[in-house]
Amino acid sequence: MLTVKNLMVFYENALAINDLSLKVGEGEIVGVIGSNSAGKSTLLNTIAGLTLDLKIKERRKGGERITLMGEIRYLGEDIVDMLAVHRVKRGIVLCRERHPIFPESDVMENLRIAAYLHPKAHFRKMADYTFDLFPQLKKYRRKRAGFLSGGEQQMLAIGMALVAGPKLLLLDEPLLGLSPAMQTRLVGAIKDIRATLGITIVISEQFARPVLPMIDRGYVIENGMLVLAGTGRELMENPEVKSAYFGV
Amino acid sequence: MFAAILIYGFINSSILALVAMGFNLTFGISGVANFAYGAIYIFAGFLVWIFLNTLGVNYFLSIILAFISSYLLGYLMYRFIILRVRGLPLSEVMATFGLGLAIMELFRYLDFVGVKYSLPVFIDGSVSIGGHFIDYQRLLIGVVAVALTVIFYFFTHYTKMGLAFRAIAQDDETALTLGIDPDRIGAFSLALGSSLAALAAVIILPLGTISVENGYEVLINALAVCIVGGLGSTVGVIVASILVGYSQTLTANYIEPHWMILVSLAAIAVVLVVKPSGIFGKQKELEERV
Repeated sequence: MLTVKNLMVFYENALAINDLSLKVGEGEIVGVIGSNSAGKSTLLNTIAGLTLDLKIKERRKGGERITLMGEIRYLGEDIVDMLAVHRVKRGIVLCRERHPIFPESDVMENLRIAAYLHPKAHFRKMADYTFDLFPQLKKYRRKRAGFLSGGEQQMLAIGMALVAGPKLLLLDEPLLGLSPAMQTRLVGAIKDIRATLGITIVISEQFARPVLPMIDRGYVIENGMLVLAGTGRELMENPEVKSAYFGV
Repeated sequence: MFAAILIYGFINSSILALVAMGFNLTFGISGVANFAYGAIYIFAGFLVWIFLNTLGVNYFLSIILAFISSYLLGYLMYRFIILRVRGLPLSEVMATFGLGLAIMELFRYLDFVGVKYSLPVFIDGSVSIGGHFIDYQRLLIGVVAVALTVIFYFFTHYTKMGLAFRAIAQDDETALTLGIDPDRIGAFSLALGSSLAALAAVIILPLGTISVENGYEVLINALAVCIVGGLGSTVGVIVASILVGYSQTLTANYIEPHWMILVSLAAIAVVLVVKPSGIFGKQKELEERV
């Protein structure tokens, strides 16, 4: 479904992604594991087109020079130069890190905003599904999203991404800063999204423990470079991963 | 006397609300402080006058044409000027302010000065409310201001475009990940803000003559209302219009009409010293919580 080939991303002369290649098959859950500043967010932002958007903005005002090289193929199309908006229309939806929601709008309005590209019927279906997935959100329909807890905001952010109609859902550190109980609940929800809707999912995380059991395959990146790839089980049993991410 | 102040204060508040709404809309959505706002206001006024008197177009059609022209002016301004300095607030202000000055002084240079530059009222005549005569045009201003506020509320809360506006106003990067194009919405916000300036112009200008000074005055009033209310807040605009509007009317009544504009300037100064974010400063409540 998605093939990234020899991707390089430079911020001025700093290399954020270095010759990275990866593959995501239809219906898979793929993990991208790496520590802080390993390039996880840059990778997902580049796939979603946000890096290209930033590049255009910086160029306009003569700011930082951002260079993108390599190939990103999605459903047989090279999308390296495609604007973010068109990528969303084709079904690449990114849920950025730190639960991106609209704090002043209430929960329902957040979901309605997310349905910008879609008809009402689709919105209703996906909103209902979101509330089935996260029953906790139901009682907050009319509450301003900024007043929700971090975990609830993350649930809402995932719900918004679903309403935006993804074929390929990119989740950037959805478990960041959440309690273990909340993490377990979200992992369950992510599995359910794939099982029920058949959406392909790429999930990035710095703590491998809660993520590895649910992914089909995973990539470990460090300093923008691919260092390891394998199935979830293989990664879990790999001694280097164990020492680096499990603290064993 | 009391009834007169109540009525005229309301009309004055409506004028301020109409004038501030477009400025506030553009700022609230895209964060661009459109300092060319006053220029667009008189641009629309003069354009109606030119269509009506020089080209002999019918009044209603002239107004429509002025709307479209202002809309296009706002759109082009975004596409060709603001887009290049997007995200650099100081440059945005300089660019729009410079353009505004150029437009306004161009009209002065072209000798658009004098009492003959005035627009006819829509309906002649007046009505008596509690013994005070009030002309239809002023009544219309009140009605339009209230109607516009209501329409606006429904637009931003119940239409896709309106919701996209609210999204961009809060977080444009998140909006982008949902397929909302910030540049498209930004251009639209400037275009819509400009046509609101035109709407304010065609409905308010028949009360007097069109002059270049109107442009500066409108900008000051719009700024005063938005700063008092808290930039970008719609409720703020309504409350601030009423506050500043009634203060102006009281000043005109008890001191001198001449001093009305001083009320706006004093309001700007006082609010900036006492509560810089304005009465309904955006997101304050949430920021403090987080």
